[in-house]
Amino acid sequence: MSDSLLGLVIVLPLLGSAVSLGAGLIRNHAGWWVAAAILAVEAALTARLAYAIYVGGDRLVHILGGETFGRKEITVDGGTTNFTVGIELVGDALSGLVVVLIAAVALGVLAYSRHAGPRGNIFYAVYLIMTGGLMGVALTGDLFNLFVFLEIVGLATYALVSTGRGVESAVASLKYLVVGTTGASIYLIGVGYVFLETGALNMVDVSRSLAGEPPWFDGALYSEPLVVAGFGFIAVGLATKSAIFPLHTWQPDAYSEAPDAVTVYISALASTSSAYAFARITWMVFTPDFFAVNRRLLEAVLVLACVSVVVGSALAAMQRRVKRVFAYSSVAQFGLIFAAICIAVHPAAGERATQFAVYGTAVHLVGHAVIKSGLFAAAGSLASGEGARKLEEYAGLASRRPFVAGSMAVLGLSLVGVPPSVGFVGKWYIGVGAVNAELWAVVAVIFASTVLSLLYTAQLLEKLYFSSDIETHPMESVVADGGEALSYGMAGVGVTAAILAVSLGFLGADLASLLDPVWQAVAESAPEVTA
Amino acid sequence: MIEAYANRYTYVLVAALVAIGLYILIASQNLVKKIIGLSIFQTGIFLFFITAAFVEGGSSPVIDGEGLYASPLPQVIVLTAIVVGVALTAVALALIVRIYSEYGTLDEETLREVRADE
Amino acid sequence: MTEVVADPRPLLAVLSSAIAIVFIIASHSRPNVREGWSVLAALTKFGIIVSMLPGVLDGTRYEWSMGPIVGGGNGGIEFALQADPLGMIFATLASLLWIFTAFYAAGYMRGLDEHSQTRFFAAFAASLSAAVGVAFAKNLLTIFVFYELLSVATYPLVAHNEDPEARAAGRKYLAYTFFGGGVLVLGGTALVFVLAGTTTFGETGQALANADPALAKAAFALLATGFGVKAGLMPLHSWLPDAMVAPTPVSGLLHAVAVVKSGVFGIARLVLEVYGPGAMSQFGLGLPLAAVAAFTLTAASVIALRQDRLKRRLAYSTVSQLSYIVLGLALVGPAVSNGDGLRFVIWGALLHIPAHAFMKLTLFFCAGFIHVETHTDYISEMDGIGKRMPLTMAAFAVAAAGMAGIPLVAGFVSKWFLLLGSVQAGQSIFAVILLISGVLNIAYFWPIVYGAFFESHDSADAKPLISGPFGGRASEDAVATDGGSHAEGGEGQGGETEAHDDGHHDHHGGPGPGGWERVGWTGQEGSWLMLGPILVIAAGALVLGIVPYETGFLELIEVVAEEVMG
Repeated sequence: MSDSLLGLVIVLPLLGSAVSLGAGLIRNHAGWWVAAAILAVEAALTARLAYAIYVGGDRLVHILGGETFGRKEITVDGGTTNFTVGIELVGDALSGLVVVLIAAVALGVLAYSRHAGPRGNIFYAVYLIMTGGLMGVALTGDLFNLFVFLEIVGLATYALVSTGRGVESAVASLKYLVVGTTGASIYLIGVGYVFLETGALNMVDVSRSLAGEPPWFDGALYSEPLVVAGFGFIAVGLATKSAIFPLHTWQPDAYSEAPDAVTVYISALASTSSAYAFARITWMVFTPDFFAVNRRLLEAVLVLACVSVVVGSALAAMQRRVKRVFAYSSVAQFGLIFAAICIAVHPAAGERATQFAVYGTAVHLVGHAVIKSGLFAAAGSLASGEGARKLEEYAGLASRRPFVAGSMAVLGLSLVGVPPSVGFVGKWYIGVGAVNAELWAVVAVIFASTVLSLLYTAQLLEKLYFSSDIETHPMESVVADGGEALSYGMAGVGVTAAILAVSLGFLGADLASLLDPVWQAVAESAPEVTA
Repeated sequence: MIEAYANRYTYVLVAALVAIGLYILIASQNLVKKIIGLSIFQTGIFLFFITAAFVEGGSSPVIDGEGLYASPLPQVIVLTAIVVGVALTAVALALIVRIYSEYGTLDEETLREVRADE
Repeated sequence: MTEVVADPRPLLAVLSSAIAIVFIIASHSRPNVREGWSVLAALTKFGIIVSMLPGVLDGTRYEWSMGPIVGGGNGGIEFALQADPLGMIFATLASLLWIFTAFYAAGYMRGLDEHSQTRFFAAFAASLSAAVGVAFAKNLLTIFVFYELLSVATYPLVAHNEDPEARAAGRKYLAYTFFGGGVLVLGGTALVFVLAGTTTFGETGQALANADPALAKAAFALLATGFGVKAGLMPLHSWLPDAMVAPTPVSGLLHAVAVVKSGVFGIARLVLEVYGPGAMSQFGLGLPLAAVAAFTLTAASVIALRQDRLKRRLAYSTVSQLSYIVLGLALVGPAVSNGDGLRFVIWGALLHIPAHAFMKLTLFFCAGFIHVETHTDYISEMDGIGKRMPLTMAAFAVAAAGMAGIPLVAGFVSKWFLLLGSVQAGQSIFAVILLISGVLNIAYFWPIVYGAFFESHDSADAKPLISGPFGGRASEDAVATDGGSHAEGGEGQGGETEAHDDGHHDHHGGPGPGGWERVGWTGQEGSWLMLGPILVIAAGALVLGIVPYETGFLELIEVVAEEVMG
């Protein structure tokens, strides 16, 4: 079904990056317009994709490379089974949500970057490459292909981070590169282990092989050392990419040194895509059956996730620079997401717990992307409009920038989990999932995270609204590349994100219901999400 | 036990490469050496895939006949991974050049001191 | 008998003040118009709510639902509002008192020439929206939504002064309320949802009674503690006295009525409708809660004796009085087998909600009026003030008498029912505690009234103010007794030992060198914008005490009691 669309969604931005470079040779300022046009088309394509998936109820599959490849019958030792030859792209109820998110954020951040910079056709080219890579991460159905797309995203991110003004950004970028590449390589080792055991790389095939479905396996492979170690490596690799404590060290530097627009983009999508990948592999490839055998392994990740929530929040509360506060807050929020991913497949989780944990993962993934990108966008506008980058410099800014400060307040409270907002809905689902699974320690951490995130949000609000600026000396306004005042685009992204965060809070039930096929598949340990 | 390792000596080699690469990556103060370590680490992983491609008694699905055959899939994978690795090294070196031209040092410790002074 | 009707009025009642926020902010440069919007919103809100009153009394339930806000389970949890008798008590009360507070607040803020008045009135309107939302919430999740919004909306009011003390109080306020709301109430709600499959009030009792007792008790503990934070149950009350740094209209309407009563109201929903008397007595949940409430109401009265700052004394009195209500509700469990006992404790507890609201609002308004007119905050400086502010102090005396439970004032009726109920429920010990607390009430209010009218600034007797150490160093006593953290202690906590600070460094509190000037009984003591509301509400307290049934509150409460008793 309309399967070539899947390829197009990935290829379009990649080709577009070349076009925007080329167009830049002809006209100097063409880059932004090319990027905008391509991302607008991209948004339309993903809307079509989402329509097919959620309304049409399809599971879209596209095999790269034409008819030579595809699902083939294989007979070994008299047993016959299906195996996929080639690389498969899959659009299902899980990836559809992420694809739409990527397209929407990419378009929004592009609008933001028009004023905030960085500019130049090379920036737009790399930006488009990153978008294509993210689409690939979301849509691929192949473990190794996932590595390639993760690295494409990584490469683009390293380049984008280093476009910051000072050379500091290069240092941060290098740190990110070293840690990120190590993480991706560790993921690759895990894939290698699994490949050795199963002989497959296609996610569906790996999952079926692990379950021992092909006739040449004697039963399930869940307790094979290579498979167990493989999951361990994959988890560590993706946790590094998602910046879970203690593998987060690259993230605060990268977020705070990158140009504002880049921070908005990567904070919304870079970690999100790896967390999505982790969810997909954990749920669809390894499935709850695997964790029923290897409970300890899952609980180790769960503990890590919970520690990440606590430590991330504490570190966030200790920061003075606003971008670092938000960066560490992401460490905590991804801890929550990883916890939800683990709860969904936990042996103690019944069908109900799985359902809520899957809801929670998806809603919080989307919600965090919206909230955090809005927060970074607002912080960026205050930095370029008022020169305020530290908490102290935020004193009394609310009266001068009411809309930006207001959206920051709404988004911050949404992050804390104040209803009605998407942050609350995500936390609610994760919490109910944990209660259903009767994992009380996790329940305690999840609900305590409200107060933990209040630690740093309250500081911010207090500075913005209840400290008069006489107490501090506001820096001279550092004017960004653009004009004196903030552009409406810059303030608009923050305000839009705030409105979105609240309205998604009311749509929590509808958003979650999109995930119904996913949790049903997870609950049945099915290798693929059927419509 | 020893026999098992003797037959699979390439795995020992691979493990050694990965360990050496990681060690350099962590222990070395020099940024370029760090990247060298990263490359060695990745090379170890590539060789692991290549090694694993050879299955005793494996036969080719395409050609009939005697001989040693290795699974082509890991070779293809590694080819792709090498390309990714080269790109990463290039980006890393570009960043290092920029850092060096600004601070005039490649030493991580010195770099930290210089930045702390600013 | 009851009939559910889809009707947008509960939503409109919530939204009317939320919409007003837009107008309030838009007319920030024209104070008269801005305050006009406040009053208009208050009148609209009250009108909408009262228009539902006859229907509700006849057994109609007006309901508005926007469909599920979160999915899963049996169709998820709806975001729904319903005007039922219990909710009407709280909603009518809050919206009625807001009308007078709107006038009073205008007088107060102008009298002191406060900054950021627009933010103040906007946040005030937002708080009222949230409070009515709490009243009309149809299930635990909806109540949680408004409960949290109430915390957020009140925060700007607490931190209004923008000085370190206010910021510290605001921080403490957020920490306490979010711990109570976002952690405990949300956790308890999730647990109830998992155990019962729904969180709609009145539909969970049976399922909870059949659930795992340990989990059901845990859910009750979480919810009761969570709501108890706002209800000022010890040891989680210490945010309330600190929050008195807020302007007095806030202390009055929000921290004596809307916010704290949202906590009490949450406990009422929890006891009467989430668990119901059956499950309450089955799990033995009443007595522990009653014990906490009894401890709080005695201890808070004792602490109130030790406060010299009038607003802090009133705050501790609030803590104490709220526990009367909680105590009554908690006795629902033990009283379940005794029909009359159950009826009386419910009557007493619920009637004390409006009774305390009228009386305490009068007291706070008086304190605020005194502050605006004379910049006097400390009781020790108020001797002879009856000459300067005769009407105000008369109203104060009436309300204080009511607090102590003297007949003909509102407080008497509710306390009488509580006494009867606790005796009939076989829990006479609580009746004794109630009586002791009544005596303590007199002990901390009488000196103020006596001093105001029968003494003058230069010839005052020593007050029975216990100011010595209770078993700790004098500077630490407040901390030691209320369990607050030492770091939060601003000048407010050391009120009786440290130098007095009136908040306005260019004025000094207390009488001038020649004593209080004498002012007649015809209202020259200050602005009628403030004096008017004081007198009206004090009169309301009397009306409620003399004809409780005709005011509508007792009638509503009877309906609630009949429903609870099935």
